[in-house]
Amino acid sequence: MKSKMTTREKTFWAITIPVVLLFFTFNTLPMLKGFMYSFTNYRGYGDYDYVGFRNYKDLFTDLRVGKSYLFTFKYALVGTVLVNILSLIMALGLNNRIRFKSALRGIYFVPNILGGLVIGYIFSFFFTYIVPAVGNALNISWIQNSILASEKYAWIGVLIVGVWQAVATNTIIYISGLQTVPEDVYEASNLDGATKWQEFWKVTLPLVVPFLTINLVLSTKNLLMVFDQIMSLTKGGPAQSTESISYLIYRNGMDGGQFGFQSANAVIFFFVIVGITVAQLTIMNKKEEQL
Amino acid sequence: MSKRKIAKKTAAAFGLVLCVAGLTGCGQTASDGKIEVELVSYKPEAVAAMEKIEARFNETHDDIHLTIDSPNEAMTILKTRFIRENYPDIVGIGGDINYSNFLDAELFMDISDLDVTAQVKPAYAEMEKELEFIPQDGIYALPYVANAAGVLYNKDMFEEHGWEVPETWSEFTALCEQIESEGIQPLYLGYKDTWTCLAPWNALAVGLTPSDTCAQVNQGNTTFTDNYREVAEKTEALLEYAEPNPYAYGYNDACTAFARGESAMYTIGNYAIPQIKSVNPDINIDSFTFPANESEADNVLNSGVDLHFCVMKETQNKEAVYEVLRFLYEDETINIYLEDQGGIACKEGDFELPAELEGMRAYIEAGRMTDYQDHHYPSEMSVDAMIQTFLLDESDEAIDTFLARFDSDWIRYNRDLIWKVQQYQKEH
Amino acid sequence: MKEEKRTNWVLTFVLILGTITVFFPLYMAFIIAFKQPSEMTNDVAGALAFPSTWSFDNFRQAMEVTDFWRSLGNSLLITIATIVIAIVIHSVAGYAIGRGMAERKSFKLIYFYIVSGMFVPFAILMMPLVKQTAQMGLGNRLGVILLYVVFYMPMNVMLYTGYLKNIPLALEEAAYIDGATTWTTYWKVIFPMMSPMHATVAILTALGTWNDVMTPLVIMSGTGINTLPLAQLNFQTQFGTNYNLAFASYILALIPILLFYIVCQKQILNGVANGAVKG
Repeated sequence: MKSKMTTREKTFWAITIPVVLLFFTFNTLPMLKGFMYSFTNYRGYGDYDYVGFRNYKDLFTDLRVGKSYLFTFKYALVGTVLVNILSLIMALGLNNRIRFKSALRGIYFVPNILGGLVIGYIFSFFFTYIVPAVGNALNISWIQNSILASEKYAWIGVLIVGVWQAVATNTIIYISGLQTVPEDVYEASNLDGATKWQEFWKVTLPLVVPFLTINLVLSTKNLLMVFDQIMSLTKGGPAQSTESISYLIYRNGMDGGQFGFQSANAVIFFFVIVGITVAQLTIMNKKEEQL
Repeated sequence: MSKRKIAKKTAAAFGLVLCVAGLTGCGQTASDGKIEVELVSYKPEAVAAMEKIEARFNETHDDIHLTIDSPNEAMTILKTRFIRENYPDIVGIGGDINYSNFLDAELFMDISDLDVTAQVKPAYAEMEKELEFIPQDGIYALPYVANAAGVLYNKDMFEEHGWEVPETWSEFTALCEQIESEGIQPLYLGYKDTWTCLAPWNALAVGLTPSDTCAQVNQGNTTFTDNYREVAEKTEALLEYAEPNPYAYGYNDACTAFARGESAMYTIGNYAIPQIKSVNPDINIDSFTFPANESEADNVLNSGVDLHFCVMKETQNKEAVYEVLRFLYEDETINIYLEDQGGIACKEGDFELPAELEGMRAYIEAGRMTDYQDHHYPSEMSVDAMIQTFLLDESDEAIDTFLARFDSDWIRYNRDLIWKVQQYQKEH
Repeated sequence: MKEEKRTNWVLTFVLILGTITVFFPLYMAFIIAFKQPSEMTNDVAGALAFPSTWSFDNFRQAMEVTDFWRSLGNSLLITIATIVIAIVIHSVAGYAIGRGMAERKSFKLIYFYIVSGMFVPFAILMMPLVKQTAQMGLGNRLGVILLYVVFYMPMNVMLYTGYLKNIPLALEEAAYIDGATTWTTYWKVIFPMMSPMHATVAILTALGTWNDVMTPLVIMSGTGINTLPLAQLNFQTQFGTNYNLAFASYILALIPILLFYIVCQKQILNGVANGAVKG
């Protein structure tokens, strides 16, 4: 048995090493180059000088960067909670004994496919003309003006669209997670006379915890890296209230001439998300073991 | 799944990869013996005109083959090509900060020995010079076509109500009030898209501040607080005559509203006309220079180079490239472009002006024109968003906050440039 | 047993009602796709009222502008190749790392190393990648596919290892006792059992690659090869956007991926029907 396990391990290494090499070449290597640029005033073309830690020093005193972190975290925190609750409910619903199952699943998947221009136009229209019309008809004052034009509420508009799109992705993962729960487990719990509520907490949830972990990590990451929705809905406005970190990195690093500075921003941002994810994984792993 | 099935699947996967690899072999086909000249234009909307020009050139030249590419997202594509060191021979870009940066990165060639550079209207030749961060010897851009911004107005509405085109700031505000009193919306701003905030800002700034304000600030001779107060005040004053909550509506909404006669005027440039006409092809538009001052004589038209050609330093075929530029600068060729795209020719001579710019004719002919101030703003500073922030700020110190931030942000975003400029000054 | 298979009609009804959140925006997209620019107004009717005539002219024109069939072909090629390679490489990598993790700490490190790649903002990778792919002769479709395989590796490896946790080790051990190697055990036992996850990975990977503009734009620019999203940039210029044509084009581009999703969903359900997981 022991020798068997070592050949097994050899196989694992034989698979893993080429994959890691591929990954290193096209992900880590360019990232290391980007890391190097974070110590320069590179514009993305032409020549550049090394500026030491200036970019990093600037980052911590830049109000705009600070504001973008605040916005992004607020957005991701509220978004993650909403997305996971909604998509778990959706997955449970779509995995139940319902009619038109594949049609319904197909329909709820659509938000995922719609591209930036469509999302931007439709939801801008929705928030600019339709919601205020409803607000006027029902006399609800805070939606009588477009929420995308309000410094205070614009982030909610972006959040609604972000969640609307993200729920579709996370639902898919929860659905495939629910597939790993064998039918007979439910049958057993039914025989025990458990209520649906108990069944969910006692049977379903523990079995889908690995997927809860994945979804938490994925949705947090996707929401922290929010970019498309900002690009298509607000372009960071009004009054720069919805500039996300990714938006700043992209806009000023690629379109503007701040490639060096924004590389530094990207490096810090990378470590921040990795930190958050490791924390999530550690906590969830403990939970997985407990259950 | 059986092993055979997997093997089949894997084979299919590899087959696909190979097939992809095979397909990528097609590069540029060199036309036999001819010198290949590649031009990348950043205006995809002008692709039809460019194709016509390309075909005409190739018909009349046996020794040179010209390829004009008008890709979408051309600036991104150009930047990535520069990274790959895969340079075209000529680039057709705008006379803005990107040009200044590329020039500063020493990507372009001096074309002062090209004869047609002498035919450029002086006003535009000067603008090109002002775009140089550090004064350069020589000429690096051949300005082709310019656009102009000020106020577009609905001619039929003006005629119907007997409104007069204003020539001073007080006439302008009086007109707005009159239009309003007749129950019509004077202006539509569409400030949701931040860049539209720059349209009236630029048009006012040319009349109220010197054209080289940014360069003067870089040299440490002045501040924006000293120069931009009136521009800021007047930009803010426009809000009173605009649609309520302009931050809810974008450029597209504004074009639609103006096209449908929901407002009498629109503070934007001639570049918006195609979008406006797509909604209402029958609209009768004319324009006037933004009357920023109390005396007409002080007003200046806001006009800048929309398309100019620069030769890449790396080009191997200088003579062929010059031949292409000479061809592009022939009156006939320019007319092909103007017919399709409108705009103002940057070459001296008798070119037809679009009917919508009739109201600006006197300024154009006299050369009373100054470039967009934002052509000197670094895009990462997001001055457009700063203006929107300022306009949304309802506190009493809004202007002071804004101007102070303008100065401090400017220094931050232009640190390396300011250092370079002041270094240059010390040496000269 | 029979009794439990009853349809839950209340839930079905609630879920159908909920589709309004999807159908309403979709309805707007359809209406706009059929209208002419001159029919667009700045009020509620602008996007909700029917067009004056129902003609497929916009769709025809959109197909012309985007060189639809050719662009579609490129998009399909890139997406399908990416999915096939991703399923093969990522699943086996997920298996090796996932099972290895249980026995050795070094695999756990590799797991975290790869998963952390998910958090690298693309903007920082972009410029070095442009240079690198050009130097390696990969400034083409193959390069784009390869990059996608790398970009989706973190998420997919995470999904596969997560799924593996619910597949008991005992199944593999049974195969060992029969004398199979780890490699053949994987393909014979584990790979088929992960089919619900293959379908999920296929959907998520397809979705990302199908709509992606940035990677092909910066990697393949100048080769004259367009994908659908690249071709769709034609509708937008700096100072004007033809929303009507653009929407018609987006709706056309939506159909293939929607069909693909429905097929994959069936696959997810079949995985269970086969009783693979019950073990």
